[in-house]
Amino acid sequence: MVFAFKDVSKNRGEKTVLRGVSFETPESGVFMIVGPSGSGKSTLLRLFNRLDEPDRGTILYRGRDIRSINPRRLRREVGIVFQTPAPLPGTVEENIGFGPKQLGNDVDVAGLLRQVGLSVDFAGVMADELSVGEAQRMMIARALALRPSVLLLDEPTSALDPASVRAIETLVHNLVRKDEILIVFVSHLTEQVRRIGGEGILIDSGRVIYRDGADKLADMLERIGG
Amino acid sequence: MLDIALSSVLIAVAIILSTVLQMGLRKSLLIGMVRSFVQLIAVGYIIHFIFQLEGIVYQILLLVAMSVVASFTAHRQVGGIRGVFIITWVSIIAGSILTLGFLIAFGVIDTTPRYFIPFGGMIIGNTMNSIIIALERLISQTRDRRHIVESALSLGASPRRAIHHLLKSAVRASLIPRINMLKIAGIIQLPGAFMGMLIAGASPIEAAKLQIIVMYMIVGCVSISIMVLSFLMPRFLFNKNEQLVFTEEKNILKL
Repeated sequence: MVFAFKDVSKNRGEKTVLRGVSFETPESGVFMIVGPSGSGKSTLLRLFNRLDEPDRGTILYRGRDIRSINPRRLRREVGIVFQTPAPLPGTVEENIGFGPKQLGNDVDVAGLLRQVGLSVDFAGVMADELSVGEAQRMMIARALALRPSVLLLDEPTSALDPASVRAIETLVHNLVRKDEILIVFVSHLTEQVRRIGGEGILIDSGRVIYRDGADKLADMLERIGG
Repeated sequence: MLDIALSSVLIAVAIILSTVLQMGLRKSLLIGMVRSFVQLIAVGYIIHFIFQLEGIVYQILLLVAMSVVASFTAHRQVGGIRGVFIITWVSIIAGSILTLGFLIAFGVIDTTPRYFIPFGGMIIGNTMNSIIIALERLISQTRDRRHIVESALSLGASPRRAIHHLLKSAVRASLIPRINMLKIAGIIQLPGAFMGMLIAGASPIEAAKLQIIVMYMIVGCVSISIMVLSFLMPRFLFNKNEQLVFTEEKNILKL
């Protein structure tokens, strides 16, 4: 397993958002975190790469408590893409090169653009001029530039048109087929959960209420009205 | 006192207009009028007292007190972030010591209370205003663009690198009004020191020379203080785990 969450809880002010969450992820492939809106999925995802800290419990990354790992090092290995595009100032090329540049490394921008289904002509385009679908693909390319072992995708298709949704889903399938990477995919859409596949957990009101394969998770999600 | 009473009629007119036009400014105008009267008369007596005392120590103590009040004002207006008071104070003190120290060391201004206190007061007041603009801009933009900052952190950037573009924008926003002040001086408005000198009977040339020194001093002090602030600020926006210290939506500027 790559990650193991043990009895993890998280509060936001007075409200408890996650309650005693425990699960383990596989080494690679897709791990789904599904649940209705407001169930605590995004909060849970932010704990994987220490953008937030749990109030209780332990999170292990490859057997080590993540509190003992330098946050910057952990984040380079555990990339994240948010629901909506978050382009840094500059061109697509500068965005994709941002992570490797922090380490003084170069990056194959053209190769990464091709990998996410974008033309190399996009390299010189200002990142904030991309459409939402193009920008989300650039976000994935930017995260992949650091060659992470885990990629966290927080409902990455929620702001996209159907064609772009399919493009991102195909990209996810290609990534797990070609690379030894674990993709943690957050979704509240039953049909998408079925299309993406893999295994995962269903959370509701901050608790893990079910764990199984994607089809069963989608059935359960439908049942609780997600 | 009769002069003051007569001039207060002008504020009374503003209060009446605000009431008639339902602008909702009556209370603010009234409080502003009373506060400015009390504060200026009080500071007049304090400075009158300090003018009688020998030694620069008392003047420095007065400026330190002013800088504490300015820092507290910034802390109140830009709520929600710990450490605003201390970084504002350190920034103001750094800018003030360097600019006043330089001008005194080279004999541009002397250390008599008549010069030292007004010059010190001007740089502290102006620096405080610029610091509030910079803090408000940086904090609100960091909050609005949290995902961009956290994306940069997730790409292995240091906190300072993750907010570099927001720091740059905040520094520019706080300094541009000061740079504009230099550009329009004497054309669109006659600045305060220039007017004061003229009213006190100085020649227009002498007034202009002093005003130039004052403006250069203010821009110098504000620039140094804002740079110090931009150096210190990332330490207070992130915790030791390099996580943003706030995530909840909140109004920044309490007016």
